[in-house]
Amino acid sequence: MRKRSKAERAMEYIGRIFRFGSIQSVITLSFAALSMIAMILIGIVFYSSFSENARSNATASTTQIMNQTRLTLEYYLDSMVEISDTIENNLDSFTSGNIERLEDIIELTLDIREDIESITIYADTGAILLSVPNLKLDANLIPAAQEWFRLAAANPFEYIFSPPHVQRIYEDIRPWVVTLSRGMVLELAMGRRGYITTVDMNFSRIEEVCSQVELGHRGYIYIIDDSGRIIYHHQQQLIYAGLKDENIQKALASDTGSFSEKVNGEEISTVVMDVGTTGWKMVGVSYVDEIVRNRRNFNSLIVLILMVGLAFIILASIYISYKISQPILRLEHQMNRIEKGDFNVENLEVRGEDEVKQLTRSFNMMIERIRGLMSQIITEQEAKRKNELKALQAQINPHFLYNTLDSIIWMNENNNHEGVSAMTAALAKLFRISISKGNEVILVKEEVEHAISYLTIQKMRYKNKFRYSIDMQEGLGEYKTLKLLLQPIIENAIYHGINNIPDEGRIDISVYSEDDTLIYKVSDNGYGIEEEKLRNIFKKESLSKHSSGVGLKNVNERIRLYYGEDYGISIDSQPEIGTTVYIRIPLKEVGNE
Amino acid sequence: MNDVFKKLLIIFTMMAILVSCTSPQTVKPNEDIDIRVIVKKQNHDFWAVVEQGALAAEREFGINVDYVGPASEEDITGQIRMVEAAIEDKADAIVLAAIDYNLLVPVAEKARDAGIPVIIIDSNINSDRMLGFVGTDNVHAGRVLGESMVESLGTDADIMIVSFVKGAASSNEREAGLMEIIDMYENINLIDTLYCNSDEEIAKTLTIEAIRQYPEIDAFVCLNAYATVGTARGVIEMGMEGEKKIIGFDSTPEEISYLEKGVIELVVVQNPFSMGYLGVKYALDAVRGITVPKSVNTGAVVITKDNMYDPENQKLVFPFVD
Repeated sequence: MRKRSKAERAMEYIGRIFRFGSIQSVITLSFAALSMIAMILIGIVFYSSFSENARSNATASTTQIMNQTRLTLEYYLDSMVEISDTIENNLDSFTSGNIERLEDIIELTLDIREDIESITIYADTGAILLSVPNLKLDANLIPAAQEWFRLAAANPFEYIFSPPHVQRIYEDIRPWVVTLSRGMVLELAMGRRGYITTVDMNFSRIEEVCSQVELGHRGYIYIIDDSGRIIYHHQQQLIYAGLKDENIQKALASDTGSFSEKVNGEEISTVVMDVGTTGWKMVGVSYVDEIVRNRRNFNSLIVLILMVGLAFIILASIYISYKISQPILRLEHQMNRIEKGDFNVENLEVRGEDEVKQLTRSFNMMIERIRGLMSQIITEQEAKRKNELKALQAQINPHFLYNTLDSIIWMNENNNHEGVSAMTAALAKLFRISISKGNEVILVKEEVEHAISYLTIQKMRYKNKFRYSIDMQEGLGEYKTLKLLLQPIIENAIYHGINNIPDEGRIDISVYSEDDTLIYKVSDNGYGIEEEKLRNIFKKESLSKHSSGVGLKNVNERIRLYYGEDYGISIDSQPEIGTTVYIRIPLKEVGNE
Repeated sequence: MNDVFKKLLIIFTMMAILVSCTSPQTVKPNEDIDIRVIVKKQNHDFWAVVEQGALAAEREFGINVDYVGPASEEDITGQIRMVEAAIEDKADAIVLAAIDYNLLVPVAEKARDAGIPVIIIDSNINSDRMLGFVGTDNVHAGRVLGESMVESLGTDADIMIVSFVKGAASSNEREAGLMEIIDMYENINLIDTLYCNSDEEIAKTLTIEAIRQYPEIDAFVCLNAYATVGTARGVIEMGMEGEKKIIGFDSTPEEISYLEKGVIELVVVQNPFSMGYLGVKYALDAVRGITVPKSVNTGAVVITKDNMYDPENQKLVFPFVD
């Protein structure tokens, strides 16, 4: 099982590398592709320059070897020419009757030169005048029918080299020779005399010289004459037996020099050079890869370097792209969780390259901030709900309701019907506005009306112990306001401000605007608030329901939650003189939320 | 990270395997291949040329060729011993010119059992388990002999056949080919067939006896070199050169000499060089697992006094012998 999962993981990993479009695959592929192109280009450049070098080296070495062979061969051929010339210089022996001298010279030559098989002098009629060695002649030979004789007779004074052939001058002696034949015409006192001289060199000497040539392992040389007949070939017998074929046409047609061609996928370098004045051509065929052994090794070396280099590059690019993409992938993974709403992710580990570190840090800070904001929102929402509940409680303060209803009953019993009517109407208005279909926002004039209703009820209950005045700036009635702002303040003023003063209490309410701010100002002439109490009035949790400041705090918080920190309540208070409360809210018209 | 490196290692290994697969597999190099060529007779004109062919192949392919053969062409046990030795030496292949059609079969098949490829040259054996045969198609050579005989003697002649060994495959086949032609002409009268046991002296004796016994003989048709040389010697001894015509086989220097002197009318020449060369070449192919042809005819050419020095013929008649 473990193995299988490992294999799966490997597959997944490979899949990730080759997932098109991922950072890792883009980096890996582009990196590998670029490097491969670069390496292949370098390889091609190296290879072609090396290859060119190898070719010219092969040609040079082939040419050098062939030159040595050619020189040796020319030495032998030249010596045949020298022998032929020596005979020519002594041809007058025939007329001077001094044949023995010529015979001595030839015999001496033959003694010295083992490669010379025989030397013969013919009359232009074909009759043999002198033949060394002096053996039994073959009666069947008709010299005039032989090619070497005919060519020499037709081209006097030219050196005619025959292709290898079987010499048949002597009975039962059949050596393979190359014959140098030469026709000579002597102008003598008795008239023109024609002679044909032949020098036969044993073919094995030419073979010996040529067969030692080594052009690599399979390279070889061959020699053809001007009509394309093979003089020497390392596989001469195979060619004669019809088992091999040499394409001599190209060599025959080409001038001296070298050319190379591809045969069966192998590069073959062919060098052609003339052999002396014989009209022969020596052709060297060599396999470039053999002459320059390194080349094949070099090829495989290049391939090996390419392969290893490529493997290394791919590994390196996989590693590099992994290093780059891994932190990003990790980031991505955790972001995914957050995207799904899980903010309880621990902070990401800050590591990797600078950019990624920075990104991680920023991401962590962002998460931190979001977390803070979210908890803030939660607290705020909780506070808002709590305050709303309190406001609601204030609206339907049961004591206030009982007391009011008691007052109504009491007035009714005293037949104060007018008072009952007025108080009931005020109570109804009070509740209508405070409930106002559940809306939190009402018109300023409604808020003021609400305050009036409350004041009306309280005034009746407190038997005109205080007076009040309301002064509203023209045109403000149609603006919007959070509801139930004034009532708690007024309530505070009545219960804590003016309730127990000996004089008649006064509550003056004015509503006005300053710039974009709507201000409710509530002043009383009560005890005032002590400085220390005033300082803590918004901070302290309310100690008891009836302690002063509960209403103030509640109103202040509601305003702040609703309109923001710029608005709220401010208090001016002087002990024994009175308190003035300012309620500030933004000036907002209806329909302008 | 460790895992990643393991995977990279796997990829690396796969690439290394890929690289190593591209390099050629090792096979036994040519210079380590030993091919044993076992012929009928070590130092003889015909077999010397076979040897040259074998050596040409040795040079060309860079292999090792051991060329062996008994001192006499009758030494059957000697040749069997040589095949045994080749098996013991674990030669990579054997090229065999069998002295006997049947007696060499067991040892040749033993070589095959040992997994050694065997190529037969010149003279076949009575087994179909050999990989290939390279040599003269003797029936065809017999026909060539017959046709050139008719060309030379005309369609009205009394002839004598001088064969070598009664029951030998090559002599039987040459005879059969020859008889095909003789039977086509009712005026060609075959007097008798003589067997010289591949001995020149026996052939000479038989020829002399035959001439005495049948003075009407126009020509002797000889089926191998020994028969040809022996018959020529007999005719010369009788002083009847040119009078009793000789149609011969092969081209030993002595035969060529007689041909030039007109003692022998014509010879049918085989191609021993090709036998040696192709025998070794196909043996190497067989070692390399290349299919070799079951039978290769190296051909037969008619040589007369007039065409023997033609460039293409002198190469056959006068091989380069160092």
